[in-house]
Amino acid sequence: MLFKIASVDSLIIYFGKSIDEQIALNVKKAYLCLKKLDIEGIIEIIPSYTSIFISYDIFKFDFESLKELLENSINLESNESFEEKIISIDVYYGQEVALDLLDMSLKTNLSIEEIIEIHSSKLYDVYAIGFLPGFAYLASVDERIALPRLSTPRKQIPKGSLAIANTQTAIYPQSSPGGWNIIGRTTMELFDKKLEKLSPLSVGDKVKFNPISKEVFLSQGGSL
Amino acid sequence: MSLELINNPILVTLQDKGRYGYSSIGVTNSGVMDEYAYFWANKMLGNSLGTNILEIAFSNVIFKVNAATKIALTGAKCEFFINDISKECWQTHNVKAGDIIKIAKILEGNRVYLGVFGGFDIKKEFGSNSTTIKENLGGLDGTKLKKADILPFKEYISHHNSRLKKEFIPSYCDELTLRVVLGYQDENFSQVEKNKFFSNIFTLSNDFNRMGCKLNGEPILCDIDGIISEGISFGAIQIPSDGQPIILLKDRQTIGGYPKIGSVLSIDCFKLSQAKTNCKIKFKEISLNEALKEVKEFYSFFS
Repeated sequence: MLFKIASVDSLIIYFGKSIDEQIALNVKKAYLCLKKLDIEGIIEIIPSYTSIFISYDIFKFDFESLKELLENSINLESNESFEEKIISIDVYYGQEVALDLLDMSLKTNLSIEEIIEIHSSKLYDVYAIGFLPGFAYLASVDERIALPRLSTPRKQIPKGSLAIANTQTAIYPQSSPGGWNIIGRTTMELFDKKLEKLSPLSVGDKVKFNPISKEVFLSQGGSL
Repeated sequence: MSLELINNPILVTLQDKGRYGYSSIGVTNSGVMDEYAYFWANKMLGNSLGTNILEIAFSNVIFKVNAATKIALTGAKCEFFINDISKECWQTHNVKAGDIIKIAKILEGNRVYLGVFGGFDIKKEFGSNSTTIKENLGGLDGTKLKKADILPFKEYISHHNSRLKKEFIPSYCDELTLRVVLGYQDENFSQVEKNKFFSNIFTLSNDFNRMGCKLNGEPILCDIDGIISEGISFGAIQIPSDGQPIILLKDRQTIGGYPKIGSVLSIDCFKLSQAKTNCKIKFKEISLNEALKEVKEFYSFFS
């Protein structure tokens, strides 16, 4: 763990320098440990791919004292198992909503069915949440379907759109401009004011996509 | 018992100290851009310091008062009238049912704060009244205020007023020095680039909103193009590949992938939030200990 100053009242801990499963696992361990410790005086904790950002009350800690406390209380070596949370998300991969599937099929020389099969057979890790509230960066997408962002972003991507950019996949929690390849749509709310935690996902969770038919999608309240 | 908005202003939002504890799922802190003006308004009203307030970002806003209360106006210097009679900012005023409050022209600074005794009686959303328009959170319905919106408060009949001593009233000039604590990717900026950063003069561009502001100047070069997205602090200074610094403010995104040289002191960001386009900006390095002392002094003064 490498500690760096972020601002007068925040620091950032680095766990490595690349997007990597082992590094992400350490981020997850440290994040769960911090949540469990619930240290008074820590204001925000933002986990991401390789780091955890922490802002704190300067009347309770300074950089050195918090660093010392965290170095002594975060144990990455521990083999304590944590509950593996797997969230299953129903997705309709139909072409009415999968705006880029046909194009992706041409670019990858895979059939649409194959792309759907490849995408939905993998278990993804939530590496970070940001950009928009509830926008979870999931990885890693199979290299065969890992296409770069569109050269011209769309002005409006419909809410619930499932998308791919390189080896990452994500759902747009609200309609928004964006440049990712759209491959499906879900009716699940990714940012929901009715939920106590606001989002069903948190960093460290795992996500599985479950392909559904048009009928099921419509019966769940989906719109085309 | 309320304030009623009579016209459609460009940007008036309900704010408070901000929304904390949800950054890990991408919800920004939000909150007033200028805590100095905000705290003074509440202090003069005898409110607890976290009481909500209206942040008025552009000229020409008219309210009708529907019950007696005491108001305070702080922040940007503006033409301010109660029933067409010109009034002073940075002090409290007693108003009664039927009065018309008008903030006509903003003369100096960007943001005017209008608070009422006891605050507005509006339900908080996830611990805060702060409006974040892009997240549709806070305020009355997650967005800016519009004509006919009603802001309820408890009636209060006041017999005295407070006025702030002149020495505490800031002047918003066209030159600003922002103190910076180095951090994040500071090691990826060579000494030459750091020297440039701390000696050159930048100008504030009109790319300036509640999320942040962009400066123009001789480009500052970083050894790396981008980083793996990570958490962003209030005041963080991003240096994208065009070398023009971006300072991130209250509605910043929670994570981002541009290299950062460090962060502007929070208390200097409050001054920045009142700076106008083309304002000359200089950066000055400050040690973490010195910064801590300054920021503690600010918050101790107001607590």
